[in-house]
Amino acid sequence: MKIFRREYLILSVLAVLGLILLGGCKQEHRFIKKTAFKDTNSIVIVFAGPVDEAWAQNTGNYSIYEKPDPDIKLKIGKVSVSPDKRTVVLTFEEDLNQDQPHILNISEIISEGKSLGTAFVKVKKLYFGYLFSILIGAMIINNFVFTKYLGLCVFFGTSQKKSTAVGMGITFTIVIVFSAMMAWFLYQFVLKPYRLDFLQIVVFIGLVSLSVQAVDTILRKLNPALFKAFGVYLVLVIANCIVIAVPLILADNEYNGWESLMLALGAGLGFLIALFLMSSVRERLDLANVPTTYRGLPIAFVVAGLFALAFMGFSGMSIF
Amino acid sequence: MPATTKTNSQLVVNGILNENPIFRLALSMCPAVGISTTVMNGLLLGIAVLFVQVFSSCTISVIRNFIHPKIRIPTYTLTIATWVTVIDLVLAAYMPAAYKEMGIFVKLIVAFAIITMRLEMFACKNSVPASFWDGVGMGLGFMFAMMTLGFVRELLGMGTLFGYDILGFKPLLFFVLPAAGFFCVGIMMAIYNYVELAYNRKKKG
Amino acid sequence: MKEIIRIVVSLTVSCIVAAFVMGTVFAITDKAKKHNEHLNVHETVLGLLGYNKANPAPSDLRLFTMYRYIIEDEKTKNLGYMVPVAHEDKEGYELLVINLKGEFVERLRLDIAPEKVAEEPDRKSALRAVIKPPRTFTYADSTIIAKLGGKRLAYLLPGAFPGFKTFIEVMLALDPSFKIMGLEIMEHEEDPGLGGEIEQAYFKNQFRDKSFEKIKGLKVVKEPLPDEYFRYLEADKTKEDMISRKEIAEIKSKYQDKDIYALTGATISSRSVTVGVKTIIKKFTYRVNILDSVIAGQRIPVTF
Repeated sequence: MKIFRREYLILSVLAVLGLILLGGCKQEHRFIKKTAFKDTNSIVIVFAGPVDEAWAQNTGNYSIYEKPDPDIKLKIGKVSVSPDKRTVVLTFEEDLNQDQPHILNISEIISEGKSLGTAFVKVKKLYFGYLFSILIGAMIINNFVFTKYLGLCVFFGTSQKKSTAVGMGITFTIVIVFSAMMAWFLYQFVLKPYRLDFLQIVVFIGLVSLSVQAVDTILRKLNPALFKAFGVYLVLVIANCIVIAVPLILADNEYNGWESLMLALGAGLGFLIALFLMSSVRERLDLANVPTTYRGLPIAFVVAGLFALAFMGFSGMSIF
Repeated sequence: MPATTKTNSQLVVNGILNENPIFRLALSMCPAVGISTTVMNGLLLGIAVLFVQVFSSCTISVIRNFIHPKIRIPTYTLTIATWVTVIDLVLAAYMPAAYKEMGIFVKLIVAFAIITMRLEMFACKNSVPASFWDGVGMGLGFMFAMMTLGFVRELLGMGTLFGYDILGFKPLLFFVLPAAGFFCVGIMMAIYNYVELAYNRKKKG
Repeated sequence: MKEIIRIVVSLTVSCIVAAFVMGTVFAITDKAKKHNEHLNVHETVLGLLGYNKANPAPSDLRLFTMYRYIIEDEKTKNLGYMVPVAHEDKEGYELLVINLKGEFVERLRLDIAPEKVAEEPDRKSALRAVIKPPRTFTYADSTIIAKLGGKRLAYLLPGAFPGFKTFIEVMLALDPSFKIMGLEIMEHEEDPGLGGEIEQAYFKNQFRDKSFEKIKGLKVVKEPLPDEYFRYLEADKTKEDMISRKEIAEIKSKYQDKDIYALTGATISSRSVTVGVKTIIKKFTYRVNILDSVIAGQRIPVTF
């Protein structure tokens, strides 16, 4: 019975992911199968059937602009059609700003002698990819501990042993996802519309305490074994500044629900990674001969500095 | 801990040396690493923390007899959050440039363990003047630590102090890089440890 | 039971007191905050135009702000410019709607006082009165136009573009022939010591005096910054006259048509600033020419 349930869970997760992917690929015209950016300055259009080559070669049939600037049309340098006449590559004179969605207007598509009407399509990066880049960004590239220097008190306090580190990391991830989503909801639908954003700090810290209490109660009832393992870390979560910083960042950047979820999840997992790395080193350090004055925290700080230097190598990296 | 017997000056010195929040108690280290790149930053955040600590200590000390023991922690949190909001709004309004430098850290004062700890350990048991001086000591201790770090990092990293050119060249750019904050804090802690060890040895011998 | 009531009462009282304190502070600081923000922008603008304490701005210098909106319904998209106008010496704002081909569509009177126009909510409510659903409007950008003695002195363009880490916000000053008068970095989160150097004079002043023709093909070169050029770029900072006027003119003409020298260890930041500046200027010049011809064609009494 249990195995079945797990399968259902995996299936439903896959279904949700598929829906997101579908949402990202949705096109406005039935004859156009796919549009995507290629390299720095071209756009690929895939049609459902072969198109008329003479029509496709005419640059006047395409007009394209960045979504916020509908009046400025981009100049198309060259159009190339693939041998099977289904794929058209538009090459532009200048590099495209791929962070902006582009609106492509293809007039009077001609395929096998028939006109198929005008199509408006949006060319943009996959939304799923964008979400994923937020997740990885918060987790590694802008790791909260090593590149934003937050949550250090708890970080140094609980990174002595691997088991503690993992326990703390998991508890923290659960709480932060919980509280960040509540904070996002409250901020978007209560604080912002009523111009109460100056109450951010009070509301967010209240929500964090609330969600810690909630997770505590739920865990105690549902899974006492798990509570025994992770209960001790719950109290420490409140003293972690990441848990306040994430809602503040969400409020500043105006993320939507999915993006907020990804950022919170990334922050939690990033903290877990940082704790795990640090505890691995500190377990080894216990065996090393460290000068008396450096024993304990000072050497831990130096190690963290080395990690931070290493993480600097990730900075500015962009995925998708 | 019963009501303190220390004099006011002892309370202040205690905050700066024996119980320095950053180097000795190892609390609220995020800003110590994150924005101690210049002396000015250290000074400004120090002032903000001093303000929040002193006002929260005094507030709790005033109402210490009315607080129901069961809702002690929520009351502390509410008090701190209120004063943090106040200083946040004031800084944003009157010192926008400095506020931008400090970024999110002003708001994060609310999560500083040091303030809650002083309220729990000291302010809820002592009179208003004693709490005031304890708050001043802790705030000054924090400010002192931040400024020391800022001094080292700004002088070595950019060759300037308070934005004025002192050395005329940049000895080690590394110190301005954010990662160097960890090294500086680690080395400062080691120095504090060393002084303590040397002092104890001298007392014994 | 008695205990619960005590807890509830004391918590409520403390919440009310806290709310009262925060509300009061907010009410006091909110105005000052807005005032200081505007003051900050104003000072940046004056700084870019070359005015400072030693050389204060003349009294007939006036700044006008123009706001661009995108106005759309299901079928059409138009641009709406909120332009300052003067009718019989009374200053106000008008919304000028231009279609995507650059042709005039309509002009609408807006009921908004010039001193309130800087606040987004006030602008919104004024626009809502003339643009009824299903037509919607979204804010795009704003431009400040400086006028001295009846002549246009400069265009000031606030803008933002992605940098190495997050967005970089800048303010650009162009003279009427679209030559760059100055660049100011307003906000950025680049690494201190590396990309953070974009806010230093020796980088941002490199953009000064680049002509419009040069900007179109402006590139970043990975070469060390020549020493004399560095001194010239940092000349504003050093008080004593380290370089003479003649030398300044010489260096200026020598480097005027050079590309931008990249910052050491921060080529990507340097490149994104250059590309960003280029894009802002290109878009603006395209639009301002259209706008000027429409204004002239419709004889709109604009103040700028």
